[in-house]
Amino acid sequence: MKKFAAWSKKNWLVWAVVAAYVAMTVVRPVDASRAAVLGVQTFVELIATLISVFVFVGLFQVWVNDDFILKHMGETSGLKGLALGAGIGTVIHGPLIGVFPLLKALLAKGAKAGVVVAIVSTWAIKLPMLPLEIRLFGWKFALLRNGLLFASAFIMAPLMELAIGKDWSARFRTATEEE
Amino acid sequence: MTSTDYILVGVVGALLAASAVRDRGKTKKALKIGAKQFWNVLPFFAGVFGLIGLLQVLLTPELVRTWLGVGAGVLAPVYAAVLGGLATGPPAAVFPLGQFLLSQHASVAAVATLLIAWVAVGTVTLPAEIRFFGARFALSRWALAIVLSIVLGLAMGWLM
Repeated sequence: MKKFAAWSKKNWLVWAVVAAYVAMTVVRPVDASRAAVLGVQTFVELIATLISVFVFVGLFQVWVNDDFILKHMGETSGLKGLALGAGIGTVIHGPLIGVFPLLKALLAKGAKAGVVVAIVSTWAIKLPMLPLEIRLFGWKFALLRNGLLFASAFIMAPLMELAIGKDWSARFRTATEEE
Repeated sequence: MTSTDYILVGVVGALLAASAVRDRGKTKKALKIGAKQFWNVLPFFAGVFGLIGLLQVLLTPELVRTWLGVGAGVLAPVYAAVLGGLATGPPAAVFPLGQFLLSQHASVAAVATLLIAWVAVGTVTLPAEIRFFGARFALSRWALAIVLSIVLGLAMGWLM
């Protein structure tokens, strides 16, 4: 029973969503089933991606050397660390929820908070979508928008470091194993 | 699955094979770490996808259109940030929607804001983000991302 309570606290969203679905079923049963189908569809579409991400996280933790991360993305990495993060964020894709475990692994290896913020910020740049954006909105719009997004990573990083405090990333150094 | 998914699966598969060739024990440990973490977050993922389904049904393109049309005026980028931040869907879906909105005389600032907020804010993944990084990080980033999408949208409207 205690275990169940702990599980529920950790996974409160499951119960919130179940409650929302029950309410929807009462009010609008057709929409409720449509929502369920859409949800399952999204899940099935992403399951292979999610599994790959977690395999990658495992490989990353086993193979990547802490010293390397500390040197290139740690507290003393300065602007270069941010630029590296912004570059990584631009290239990676997939759902944000799949990126979180990866960022946590980076933090555990000693990356600083700003690098993680830079990755999340530039993650919004979708390189594979660029041809579509250019076709629909033109060169100027697409390049300006993506350029501004990239530049914003360097504003978001210091702002976030200010908001969450300097020692925020320290607590992730040892906490990864049990999560 | 899209072609980028296949590339990701392929690359990770290749890495896994390379890892197994070099060190079986380490690879086994890597898979164990990955499986454990995946198993831990799986119920939560299920909740997130249930939520995505609900929002896709409740937030229709018509709703977005009403608020971002010319009638909304200067508030359009603000509405765009809120709607784009709440909405969920593949990034590809927002581009045709944005172009349609432009053709309906929505402002460039509003459309640019919507495009940015759609991918940058992530309200649906907020609970997951809180779980991974704590409330302070997640909420600060969420608030900053909303402000940023409006600022960038207004900049786009001014520059275009």
